[in-house]
Amino acid sequence: MGLGRKNDLVINGFGRSNGGRFEDVVLNGKGTIDGDVECKVYDCNGLGTLNGNVTAETVRINGKGKINGNIVARDITVDGHASLGGNISHESLRISGHCSLGGTVKGDKIKINGKAIIGGDCETEEFVTEGLFTIGGLLNAEEIDIALYGECKVKEIGGQSIRIRQKPYGLIKLFRSLFPTRLITDTIEGDDIYLEGVRAKIVRGNNVTIGNNCEIDLVEYYEESSIDKGSNVKKCIKL
Amino acid sequence: MSQDLISKKDLLDLTGISYGQLYRWKRKNLIPEEWFIRKSTFTGQETFFPKVKILERIEKIQLMKENLSLDELADVFSPDLTNVSLSYEEILKRRISSKPVMDFFIENIGQLDEFSFEQTLTIYILEKMLQSGNINLDEGRMVLDVLLEHYRKVESKTAELIFIRKLGMSTCFLASNNDELFFEKGTKIIVRLSLASCLEELKSKWT
Repeated sequence: MGLGRKNDLVINGFGRSNGGRFEDVVLNGKGTIDGDVECKVYDCNGLGTLNGNVTAETVRINGKGKINGNIVARDITVDGHASLGGNISHESLRISGHCSLGGTVKGDKIKINGKAIIGGDCETEEFVTEGLFTIGGLLNAEEIDIALYGECKVKEIGGQSIRIRQKPYGLIKLFRSLFPTRLITDTIEGDDIYLEGVRAKIVRGNNVTIGNNCEIDLVEYYEESSIDKGSNVKKCIKL
Repeated sequence: MSQDLISKKDLLDLTGISYGQLYRWKRKNLIPEEWFIRKSTFTGQETFFPKVKILERIEKIQLMKENLSLDELADVFSPDLTNVSLSYEEILKRRISSKPVMDFFIENIGQLDEFSFEQTLTIYILEKMLQSGNINLDEGRMVLDVLLEHYRKVESKTAELIFIRKLGMSTCFLASNNDELFFEKGTKIIVRLSLASCLEELKSKWT
């Protein structure tokens, strides 16, 4: 090892490997890797399973990918169906398909267009979604911009600016009663907060604006707040 | 372990920081995860912090953030050992240690070209203890032995170096987590140093 360019690991069809250090890792077909992988590009297009940790610059999952270890990568894209078991650290994470993440997610930027299920905490600078997500722990981000398309759940939200909007419906209106578009959480804490379609126990912030369709037990604010008539806020206190 | 806790709301009121800042610092690991203590109250789950530690930390962050970026600050607060080493002259120049203490260290461990972070920490602790006049050179040798032999085994986040004396007899040891310690009557605790705070101080001199 260490002789300039490293080799690629390519599995087309059925294959199995024990991992190691590579330039590119490409799994087409049904590939299984048992062991840790260190590479530049990890590209999974078929049904790939990795039982180990990945350190890579780019991780792309297009088919049905499973990674049962931790991931450290600059860019992670999921377009298919991924299940990632461990903790993830990244600069940019984009989920367009369906992705379940077992551990905590830490990085700079997260964009969710599909569906994401995060088991642990999620810490990032930017959190942008137009899809569905469930976060088991705390969502902590500088900028949170959520467009609701269905029922989302988070244990807690904290950050600097938090904006949660309900999308106007087109066709999906029919399914509205089946899939209520709302976000359910215990606590939301932030400096600037704008909410629509949120069900929360406590909302705390400097400037709090409660838009349409919210159900909130307690709002606490330092500077300004406004509450839309279409919302139900049990108690509102200026601190 | 009983300690005074402060709720998140009271903390913000007291220090004047915003939620955004608090969460930003959490993300940058300026405030350790284990300080976020979750407890249920009548309004639901609330987050509490160990009062003395968090207030001290926030004061430090506010003081230092004018000169350092948040990432640099995170380095200061993380107890990870850096791979950097310093030369004899640099240690003196950065006022980590005085010349007599450096010479004392070299006398005991041998001449070195470069001092690792761990060695520098040992020197810094020795300097603190010797310069304060709490211990003499012989006792300094004891501290040196304890640190060199056991430093790697303890968790530097929580470890404390404790130096005691009774009837003129002295000894010292490293306690690896901050459980309460109870001493025999008449035992005088001469020095009780938290390694984590020494690390922070040293790192702030380093950068």
